[in-house]
Amino acid sequence: MRARDLAEPFPVVHLDTPALEATRLLVEQSLPGLVVVDREGVPLVIMPGSQVLRFALPEYVEEDRSLASVFSESDADKFCQALRGRTVAELMPSKQFMPKKSSARPIVTPDANLMEIAAVMADQHSPVVAVVDEGEIMGVITVHRLLGAALPA
Amino acid sequence: MTVLAVFVASGTSTETDRSASTLVTVLTVAVFVGAYVFIATEWVHRVTAALGGAAVMVVIGATDAHTAFFAEETGVDWNVIFLLLGMMIIVGVLKQTGLFEYLAIWAAKRARGRPFAIMAMLCTITAVASALLDNVTTVLLVAPVTLLVCDRIGVRPEGFLIAEVMASNIGGTATLIGDPPNIIIASRADLSFNDFLVNLAPFIVVVFVVFLLLARWLFRHSFTYDPERARAVMEIDERRAIRDPALLRRSLTVLVLVMIGFVLHSALELEPSLVALLGAGLLVVVSGTATADYLAEVEWPTLVFFMGLFVMVGGLVNVGVIGSLGEAAIDAVGDNYLAAATGLLFGSAVLSAIVDNIPYVATISPLVSDLIEASGGAAGAQALWWALALGADLGGNATAVGASANVVVLGIAERSGYPISFWRFTRYGLVVTALTVTLAWPYLYLRYYAF
Repeated sequence: MRARDLAEPFPVVHLDTPALEATRLLVEQSLPGLVVVDREGVPLVIMPGSQVLRFALPEYVEEDRSLASVFSESDADKFCQALRGRTVAELMPSKQFMPKKSSARPIVTPDANLMEIAAVMADQHSPVVAVVDEGEIMGVITVHRLLGAALPA
Repeated sequence: MTVLAVFVASGTSTETDRSASTLVTVLTVAVFVGAYVFIATEWVHRVTAALGGAAVMVVIGATDAHTAFFAEETGVDWNVIFLLLGMMIIVGVLKQTGLFEYLAIWAAKRARGRPFAIMAMLCTITAVASALLDNVTTVLLVAPVTLLVCDRIGVRPEGFLIAEVMASNIGGTATLIGDPPNIIIASRADLSFNDFLVNLAPFIVVVFVVFLLLARWLFRHSFTYDPERARAVMEIDERRAIRDPALLRRSLTVLVLVMIGFVLHSALELEPSLVALLGAGLLVVVSGTATADYLAEVEWPTLVFFMGLFVMVGGLVNVGVIGSLGEAAIDAVGDNYLAAATGLLFGSAVLSAIVDNIPYVATISPLVSDLIEASGGAAGAQALWWALALGADLGGNATAVGASANVVVLGIAERSGYPISFWRFTRYGLVVTALTVTLAWPYLYLRYYAF
């Protein structure tokens, strides 16, 4: 089986999509992550849900995790409000963390076999990979779909 | 002993011997200056520069294994290395208790959300903690909770962060273990923990109060008070920051024992390094912390940097450069120790503002040591150590790169979306340094030279 056989359509978000809207997409469609594409529709990065959480959290909680405990229950409930008024572009990892080599992106070619797909997912800690054919996105493969195809019957 | 000296001095006449040793001396100075330029300009990482410099010192024959590793005057000062290691391990455990987060939030609530009161209390906590622990760790613990408090009361945090890092550098000056330059001075000069406490701490307490008054004026635009937002601070629950009360109790007990050990180390005939290591060992045992956790706080690059630096400075001592400079200094100073202290205080402040104060103090202290030895115990000579410590430690506040803690806080500020530029920091830093160092002069004069 090849990547093209597993690829399925997947909603994508753009850099200027509001962060709240993108997060809502994640929740409502139970997606494992967001595929962020540039103007030409080429996937820039795949943002797992945990990355979205990182940007909803204040930086000081990331610096010192014990500070999360001191918030009152009602204040802690509202932590996603930090996403208000921000765009997906602002949630992207800063330039220095962006993969420079194409091999360091969660992307596979249509003829990649299942083990190649698994290796990319494991290496990139990404629950989703995009299947890209000559710069054009054919679809994505989620970890569930990959495992569903690979598990012994 | 020396590879190059043997190579060059293939003849046997004293003439050739002399020219060979002159060559080694010239090369040693060149290597040292070169490495220093790399460290100051950060063209290469400072650890690489120090290790590279040390390696070249070996190749040119300025030092060898015995000189570098086993000689007190010319090699790695293991007392300094192990004191730092011990304190880093202690901090590694203490950090997990949530004590600093608890104290900072407790202070903000005591201040009932009034911005200047919060700044004064956070600065006091930072200064006291910095006197007992490493400055970098202290600011790493205080900066995030400061951001949280500022976020809650709705003020911009830049002024708070700048004030805290300055409080850290001032507080660290007070004790032997507060700032790495003091650790180096203590080891070179054989000064005890109490010597520092008696000679530096009283002045630091006064200068810290003056600093707070200055901060009230310097950061006056940071103090907008909103009673509505201040109430949000009262809703934070500081007790939840402490995740393991038993760990906190044990850690505090060991910390108190370590402090008692430092105060009594002369009477107990234990080096401060051994007090720190015994404390670290005890804390590791009673806290039951995992190896990876208590070693996580150990900054190996810093320790390796110190080792490389000591080998380089040892090379200078070994070939006699420091000795010659010392003689020149002795001639120049004569018995005018007040002039020497004045020069050392202000000169050290200026140099520490520009270059890291650790390599500076490591280089200058053997020289000061020569000067004090030559005095034959003259009154006023011993106080040169205090002039050096005050100048080098307080000078670290002058610029954004003057001390490691400054760099660390600027990094946190930037990641949190409140970037503080080099010049913005330096504008405040120059004012604070000029005032604190200038105040140090009358202190030194009145206490050691006037009567």
